[in-house]
Amino acid sequence: MAAGAARARTQGRQAQKAQTKKEKPVRYFDYSLLFLLIFLMGFGLIMLYSTSSYYGSKHYNDAAHYLKKQLFATGLGIVAMIIISRIPYRFWMSLSGLAYISALGLCTLVIFAGREAKGQSRWLEIGPLSFQPSEFAKLAVIIFLATIVYKTSKQVGDFKTLVKVVTIILPVVGVVAYNNLSTAIIILGIAICMLFVASPKYSHFLVMALVVVVVGVVFIMLAGYRAERIEIWLDPEGLDENGHLKGYQTMQGLYAIGSGGLFGKGLGESMQKLGFIPEAQNDMIFSVICEELGLFGAVCLIMLYLLIIWRFMIIANNAADLYGALIVVGVMAHISIQVVLNIAVVTNSIPNTGISLPFISYGGTSVLFLLSEMGLALSVSRGITLEVT
Amino acid sequence: MKESAAYTRSKTFNRRKIMIMFSVIFLLLMFLVGRLVYLMVFCSEYYGQKAQSLHERERDIKAARGRIIDATGTVLATNRSVCTVSVVHSQIEEPEQVIAALVAELGLSEEEVRRRVEKVSSIERIKTNVDKETGDRIRAYGLAGIKVDEDYKRYYPYDTLASKVLGFTGADNQGILGLEVKYDSYMQGTSGKILTLTDASGIEIENAGETRLEPVNGLDLYISMDINIQKYCEQAAETAYTRKNADSVSIIVMNPQNGELMAMVNYPEFNLNEPFTLTDAVKEQYMRQNAADPEAPADAAAPVFPEELSAEKKQELLNQMWRNPCISDTYEPGSTFKIITAAAALEEGVVKLEDQFYCPGYKMVEDRRIRCARTSGHGAETFVTGIMNSCNPVFIELGERIGTENFFKYFKQFGLLSKTAIDLPGEAATIMHRQENVGPVELATISFGQSFQITPIQLVTTVSSLINGGTRVTPHFGVEVRDAQGNVVETFTYETTEGICSEETSETMQYLLEQVVSEGGGKNAKIEGYSIGGKTATSQTLPRSEHRYISSFLGFAPADDPQVLVLVIINNPEGIYYGGTIAAPVCKEIMENILPYLAK
Repeated sequence: MAAGAARARTQGRQAQKAQTKKEKPVRYFDYSLLFLLIFLMGFGLIMLYSTSSYYGSKHYNDAAHYLKKQLFATGLGIVAMIIISRIPYRFWMSLSGLAYISALGLCTLVIFAGREAKGQSRWLEIGPLSFQPSEFAKLAVIIFLATIVYKTSKQVGDFKTLVKVVTIILPVVGVVAYNNLSTAIIILGIAICMLFVASPKYSHFLVMALVVVVVGVVFIMLAGYRAERIEIWLDPEGLDENGHLKGYQTMQGLYAIGSGGLFGKGLGESMQKLGFIPEAQNDMIFSVICEELGLFGAVCLIMLYLLIIWRFMIIANNAADLYGALIVVGVMAHISIQVVLNIAVVTNSIPNTGISLPFISYGGTSVLFLLSEMGLALSVSRGITLEVT
Repeated sequence: MKESAAYTRSKTFNRRKIMIMFSVIFLLLMFLVGRLVYLMVFCSEYYGQKAQSLHERERDIKAARGRIIDATGTVLATNRSVCTVSVVHSQIEEPEQVIAALVAELGLSEEEVRRRVEKVSSIERIKTNVDKETGDRIRAYGLAGIKVDEDYKRYYPYDTLASKVLGFTGADNQGILGLEVKYDSYMQGTSGKILTLTDASGIEIENAGETRLEPVNGLDLYISMDINIQKYCEQAAETAYTRKNADSVSIIVMNPQNGELMAMVNYPEFNLNEPFTLTDAVKEQYMRQNAADPEAPADAAAPVFPEELSAEKKQELLNQMWRNPCISDTYEPGSTFKIITAAAALEEGVVKLEDQFYCPGYKMVEDRRIRCARTSGHGAETFVTGIMNSCNPVFIELGERIGTENFFKYFKQFGLLSKTAIDLPGEAATIMHRQENVGPVELATISFGQSFQITPIQLVTTVSSLINGGTRVTPHFGVEVRDAQGNVVETFTYETTEGICSEETSETMQYLLEQVVSEGGGKNAKIEGYSIGGKTATSQTLPRSEHRYISSFLGFAPADDPQVLVLVIINNPEGIYYGGTIAAPVCKEIMENILPYLAK
């Protein structure tokens, strides 16, 4: 319905412009997406402040500690987004190989030189700033794969090509998986989505899905702690030998979600954020949103994401070329996978794994690269030419 | 539909696939919305309650403990608001001012206060049991980081008065000794609760709205003790204690008609407001015992009480200090027990007042020669003069006439072998020979109150029943409990047993004991204008070789209708130790004061 309206609007505008400047193609810019993003970021910052103020004042004596850092990264990201949206996206084709190589390099480097946190090193420190290479890797893979697929678009229906393309990105997936399995899964998901869209076939993907399931099961069997996560997922209220909740984090999230009810306790009124949910401003922020704004607020947020994803679909469908379309599909896959997985984890619909909620969870690198991707999508939308038929 | 220029042909399937992708995402998100509806609508109550119980902390509000109020309406035990002053290091803004204020108000050294104020800890206690006024003054400074918490503390306005009877409470407001233990359940009250919300580390959230459950204060205990009589008795006990350098002096004053105790003194008493501080008397006694140690160097300077006692030793001394000998210690009653022997003989009909006896100063029992107190002998005497003289051979004779079996029958009948059931904890039982082990010698010694032990309260109770017309009463302090508004909640009733002895025997006993005071061994207790009955006693404690005596006197008035009964026990007096000489005057002094007082 909304799509129809947008189309009608563009048609109207195009008809108007066509009368005055018949020769020159009319440039398009997806303002709807831009406004949706601005709204989402504003909402995200408010929720981040609400959630993190307790931790901030407790550990840094500054309620706005996390908000300030996030605001800095967001500002940087907006600048990046504006610049990237003004660069014709085909420019990145020439840099895609370099992007991929540097992502691989940085992700390898972080294994040896990264800052440790909770037994896993995910951050590279550059002066006062810290940087998470795996976030950059997502963007690099999107640009790289779009380039490869675009160049081999004739053979992509061939299963061998498909396998070859997947093989090319496996090194970066492997390196990222070394200390951040969730991000590796996201990268793989993005790649599969892009290939799925590019390929005219369906059967290949059924085979691929089967492989993924088998590999996944074997993977879980191999590592004990993953099997335990499955156990917690199935029975989050189970107690360990000391009588403590095994699924402590999961249960704290569920307490928050459940106590939200229909309309929530009101903005800022969450109890669970007061140290009950560990680091609530990170992956579990959605549960605090549920507690404060209720089912109503949570559904509104999901609808907001759906609208943004729908805008991506519109842009991808109307992209000037396959390269632009694939970039937007990659971005769309990235956002969708993270939103779906994050909410699924928080609601204990799938076993626990650390995935942040785009634009809302605390994380500077994440928001910087997400906004860069938005710049790419907007750049693609700019490439759409409107013609009179 | 418009088409963009570049890749028109291949676009159709790409679009379809993008549409499929979007549909899948849409369905997944709808599934998650469904999951949220399930969690937030159907499980909302379950998780909400679990979360609530996670956030709530209960904090007790202490209930004020019931007071103890005597027969005159004087409050003997009450509660005082006290404060605990602490500092919260992280909240202190002006450390110098905080230190200055605390030094000025609490009377602590600056060095000490500074050390605690500057110590990095979450909360540091500076001083407990601070007066409420001082606490209020400190609060008035309005300095950040100082915390003044109010609390109730048990307070005994008369410090040492009846310490071993009233008892005291522990830090948790629970009775530890005496009436405080016995009536704990009445005086406790029910503590209230405050439900507050806290964060994960248990810190209360301000302005979070709290639920309050008001505490129910404890009931006031009204006792039969009369503070004036208690004070007279304590003064009399103190005088006797000092004059005779005794180990201790015990006095019981009871109404023999109903068992109401008017006073119970165990001098030296201790300070109820500082129950864990050893009194000088206990320390002296401890040193005297240690000095008795032959290995101690004789030339040592005046013995000094050790500053550091082992916790065990200290507890032992505290227990000794807290002990109520009137009910917890047994002793050989000696001649006061002749009242019981006489009553048993009268009841059995084996003696008449005019019966003639002869005392040569001793009496042979089997091959043993048992001496009379007067070694030269009382010569010829009647039963009446025999009791007036407290003549042992007369009572040995009575014992023989009664016979072991009957004697024990009367012990049982008089209630001597069971406890008195006084409303104080720690009553000791009578230590008596087994009936089958009693031979003629044992029978003879029992007859004049030796070779077995009873508690002072047992003696008082048993004699009461023999002089009040034959009703055994339960000695008690507790009369009733009332709520804070003064409404009586419960009046205590106590068991009485009638027919302990015949009216006639009781009247005869009153007459006999009056004779003892008016003309016999108890004449030192005589007061002009009053008819007083009584009996003296002097008993030697075990081992006999130590030559330690207990001298006592039991008196009651008026003799023909006893309203008050007094027992004075002087433990280990120095010098003259005859009950008639040293205990009877104490009783007289008390009677002189309380008889006019009671008549009012």
